[in-house]
Amino acid sequence: MDTRRNLHAAIEELQQELTKMGQLVEEAIYESVKSLQDMDVKRAEKIINGDDFIDASTLQIEETCLRILALQQPMGVDLREVSTALKIVTDLERIADHGTDIAKITVRLAGETLAKPLIDIPKMAELARQMVRDALTAYVERNVALAQALAAQDDQVDKLFAQIFVEVIDMMGPNRDTNRQLTHLLMVARMLERVADHATNLGESVIYMVTGKREDLNA
Amino acid sequence: MKTSQANVVTRRNRMMDRIATIVLWVIACFLVLLLLVLLGYIFINGLPHVSWSFLTSRPSSSVAGGGIGPEIFNSFYILFLSLLVSLPVGLGTAIWLSEYAKPGKLTDFVRLSVESLASVPSVVFGMFGLLLFVQLAHFSFSILSGSLALSLLNLPVLVRVFEESIQQVPRSYREASLALGANKWQTIWRIVLLSALPSLITGITLVAGRALGETAILVLTAGSSVSRHAPDFSLDVSGGTLSVQLYYMITSAIVPDAKQIAQGSAAVLVLIVLLFNLLIGIPAKILQKRLTGGQ
Amino acid sequence: METAVVPKVKIQSLDLYYGQNQALYSIDMDVKPNSITALIGPSGCGKSTLLRACNRMNDLIPGVRIKGSVNVDGINIYDADTDVVSLRKKVGMVFQRPNPFPMSIYDNIAYGPRIHGIKGKRVLDELVEKSLTQAVLWKEVKDRLHKTAMGLSGGQQQRLCIARLLAVEPDVLLMDEPTSALDPISTLKVEELTDELKSRYTIMIVTHNMQQAARISEQTAFFLNGILVEYGKTDELFTTPKDSRTEDYITGRFG
Repeated sequence: MDTRRNLHAAIEELQQELTKMGQLVEEAIYESVKSLQDMDVKRAEKIINGDDFIDASTLQIEETCLRILALQQPMGVDLREVSTALKIVTDLERIADHGTDIAKITVRLAGETLAKPLIDIPKMAELARQMVRDALTAYVERNVALAQALAAQDDQVDKLFAQIFVEVIDMMGPNRDTNRQLTHLLMVARMLERVADHATNLGESVIYMVTGKREDLNA
Repeated sequence: MKTSQANVVTRRNRMMDRIATIVLWVIACFLVLLLLVLLGYIFINGLPHVSWSFLTSRPSSSVAGGGIGPEIFNSFYILFLSLLVSLPVGLGTAIWLSEYAKPGKLTDFVRLSVESLASVPSVVFGMFGLLLFVQLAHFSFSILSGSLALSLLNLPVLVRVFEESIQQVPRSYREASLALGANKWQTIWRIVLLSALPSLITGITLVAGRALGETAILVLTAGSSVSRHAPDFSLDVSGGTLSVQLYYMITSAIVPDAKQIAQGSAAVLVLIVLLFNLLIGIPAKILQKRLTGGQ
Repeated sequence: METAVVPKVKIQSLDLYYGQNQALYSIDMDVKPNSITALIGPSGCGKSTLLRACNRMNDLIPGVRIKGSVNVDGINIYDADTDVVSLRKKVGMVFQRPNPFPMSIYDNIAYGPRIHGIKGKRVLDELVEKSLTQAVLWKEVKDRLHKTAMGLSGGQQQRLCIARLLAVEPDVLLMDEPTSALDPISTLKVEELTDELKSRYTIMIVTHNMQQAARISEQTAFFLNGILVEYGKTDELFTTPKDSRTEDYITGRFG
């Protein structure tokens, strides 16, 4: 018998809100890289405008958490559930910010032809996006193994970033405009690397929420 | 349909309620009226005969103008002596029954005996006193025999009211005392009896008030005549009390003013009982208030 | 627990029966000195019974049988030569409902010392003031010491009961749901008081209020059907309980 039905209903609602927000964030990452790849300014602007909605969701979820803590005083796994939601929402919000920043770079580079077609950055983007998706799946399914697998994926992203870094340095030359474009692309890579880090943070939160144990996936 | 039916029921219920209230009021008023008529009858007929000399002088066996002084004294003296015996024994028994006796056949038997004794008519106790004290122990018709018989009569009632008072003391007081390291006797003596004191006093008042009016038992044990000098504290003299005097004046006195003396005695007896209840009841109330802060 | 503190109370394979019914099943529990240990669990789980086993208040109930041992300062209180009176002086108890005696505030506090043979007025005066001060009640009652204790509010009465207990200078305070009959503010006052007392006393508290246990205790023991299910640091037990039955209880998934 469940004697705290109000609390558990509130937590379930919280989970749904977080999942919904997670989908938006995941989409923002995907769309931002796509806009860069296709030099599609309209697409980029849509993402930049959409960030306000994500920020509003963040505040709303934080408030839901505080309300549950103040009114229901959850304990045990319920407490971990709510404290984890507070952390997850922050990570998601940061990921969304990175998506916006990438979209802004698209706008800044508008009209330019890229020095070379993008290959590794979309690869990185796909990996990072997959990580965010896996982290959210792990959250929804309480899947510790899936969360733990994020560590290996993050290593891959880090490797790609190192590779891009060297590549970009090599391509730098006397042309100031090319260098500017390359620096922007390096920043995009750096942001995607950060997205992957936040995804591992999500994984760590999920593991704590389910098991009560702290695990470092970003070592 | 339904609502009108409900209305009828509601109206009927309200009517029943009003009727019941009226009936209860009538009964209560009737009782108060009865009491007033009774007291009025006794006082109107009796008080004119009450004078200082009536209250203090000795009774006369042949001529008019006798008083009831020694009888008043004897009433209180016998009451006092009987309580001297029955209070410690009654309290001891009550403490044993409520605090020490383990539930079982013996305890049940003692309790049953006490309850049966409490309902035995006082004249039976009188007969028993007559046999035991007056004849077997050769105490003759005396204040001693009367007091002992009266204490026997009071004992079961006292045990019952005392046991009830003691059991009314919350268990939590006992637990608190024991948890502070008090032993059982300290707990009973300093906490239980103290907390029960107001209701113990009330119990004593009730029993004493009843004992003041006891007649049959004293006729058979203390006799009806009184000592030549009053107050006489000796135990072996015959000790007629106020109520016994009243009984004799009505049934077999030969003095010409027997009827007036009886009416005067009745008024004095009722007054004494009323005053007695008031005088002991008030300090008990005050004590209760001091102990509990009026809660 | 991790450090090797000598336990003040050491309960070892304690079984307790009420007649035919077993109420406690082989309880093993070390209670740390100078800290607050909370006992929680649903009604009838045995937490109060265990508390009462620690100063032998169960002796008052007919038909109670006990196996195993409860050691206070290394001495088994169920040994044949244990003096229950001095045990209860050392291991005192505060009850669910405030139960001041129907006498003055002063006499309430002085009751314990008096039965233990302290008579001098000066000594008693000092003890009364000291105990009431420790129980954070002195300021509120110092002008009405000789008025009846029954006139105090519920919260004051409970602090009076704690002061009355402190006056016999115990080492261990057993508290059986001490705030269940109090309003929220009085409850917080009593909680604050226990927090101040823990530096000098070993406190074991039974509570139905999980939040209360979480607020005030260092260790928490969770009981279910007479079994000690989980015993550990309070912060761990309430955030990451090890046993699923504890988890179910503290998250309310329990009938």
